[in-house]
Amino acid sequence: MLQPFVLEEPTSIHEAVALRARYGATAGLYAGGTELLLTMKEGLLRYERLVNIKLIPELAGLALEDGALHIGAITTHRRLERSPVVRTYFSTMAEMAAHVANVRVREVGTLGGNLCFAEPHADPGTLLLVYDASVALAQQGGTRMLALEQFFVGPFEVALADDEILTAIRVPALPAHTAAAYLKYGLLERPSVGVAVAVTARPDQVQEVRIAVGCVGPTPRRLRDVESLLSQKDLPEVRATLDAAGALAGSAADAVTDLHGSAEYKSYLVGVLLRRAFERAYQQAIGGDTGDAARGSGTA
Amino acid sequence: MRFATQVTVHVPRQSVWDFLWDVPRLTACVPGCEAVEEIEPNIRYQAVVRDKVGPFSLRVPLAVEVLEATAPVRLRARAQGRDATVQSLVKVELTLVLVETSAQTTTLQIDTDVTVLGKLGTLGHSVMVRRGEAIVAQFASALQAALGQEVP
Repeated sequence: MLQPFVLEEPTSIHEAVALRARYGATAGLYAGGTELLLTMKEGLLRYERLVNIKLIPELAGLALEDGALHIGAITTHRRLERSPVVRTYFSTMAEMAAHVANVRVREVGTLGGNLCFAEPHADPGTLLLVYDASVALAQQGGTRMLALEQFFVGPFEVALADDEILTAIRVPALPAHTAAAYLKYGLLERPSVGVAVAVTARPDQVQEVRIAVGCVGPTPRRLRDVESLLSQKDLPEVRATLDAAGALAGSAADAVTDLHGSAEYKSYLVGVLLRRAFERAYQQAIGGDTGDAARGSGTA
Repeated sequence: MRFATQVTVHVPRQSVWDFLWDVPRLTACVPGCEAVEEIEPNIRYQAVVRDKVGPFSLRVPLAVEVLEATAPVRLRARAQGRDATVQSLVKVELTLVLVETSAQTTTLQIDTDVTVLGKLGTLGHSVMVRRGEAIVAQFASALQAALGQEVP
């Protein structure tokens, strides 16, 4: 049963960070509530106060700005899935958002909430890592930008201070001749393994590969050692290296045996999904200039 | 969930065994362990263990029972308790085996079998696996450090 709490309803970032400064860790941030309310009902989390940030218009933006996608923290997965701007210029993100959890979660769950809750078996963080995304964290003294890679600290733990709120996610456009792919697999409601790959390529020539693995380890992570194995190579050489890269990615993913499967099983799946995601991203990359968000502008 | 590790210390086996019965020093090696009380010497104890993962806190009062004490070779104990807030049952079976690798060196094999039932058991299994591994590793490392201060 949900325990009683005081509900604060700020209508600006200024008011919200003032509440955070005043109440610190005793106040929880409430956006979609898909994870928060579930854990509060189960008694796993207790807050004296909830700060409802859904009434803050500044957190609702979704627009292209200087070649990057600006996503307000309270943007729902459903909005990302349906936004013409996202579907056109960040189609892999729209596709990923379309498969987060189920439609009820997507309708109210927010990207900011998903990242802040840092449940290890989540999709968005993994894909956003190959975009080199960053987050805007506001407090009373101002706003700082932090690379998403540094935002994830551990399971359910992020680099958000008790007096800060995440206001937006900045997703730079992929470079020219680059495409991304995200593949996941799981037997339970949450995925067991998620692999994101971004490939910059000309026909038969792979220039750069970015790889991130999620769900398997305590946080989503970029696998730069594996990336360097596949970058700056001819396509036949990359394909010949994919098995070794998959094995390395599997071991670097830091899998544990749990209800989602054995560590061996998950490590093996990382390799399988890496090979498939690479092929998908490569084919899309050589199919046209996909890093075109920089050329667009507008709002969703 | 089973977690196993071992540490080798430059301390005779009998000294390691004696250390295991020095309750304040031993429990100081267990991460998050506090309020240890002796109920029946060498047989029953009680303690409280706290842990925190992100915003989630756990506080479990544990009843500890020594199941087997074969000096100076093997000690087996069971700890069991329930977190009052989330009503999750935590049960730990600990087996310590002392192998004399030389007159002055002992290898301590640590085997832990942890069962968590209730909401915690279903909502955060993978996190608990990781925390379990980390806690056993910290325990082993703290034991090694504490025994390193023993005078052989």
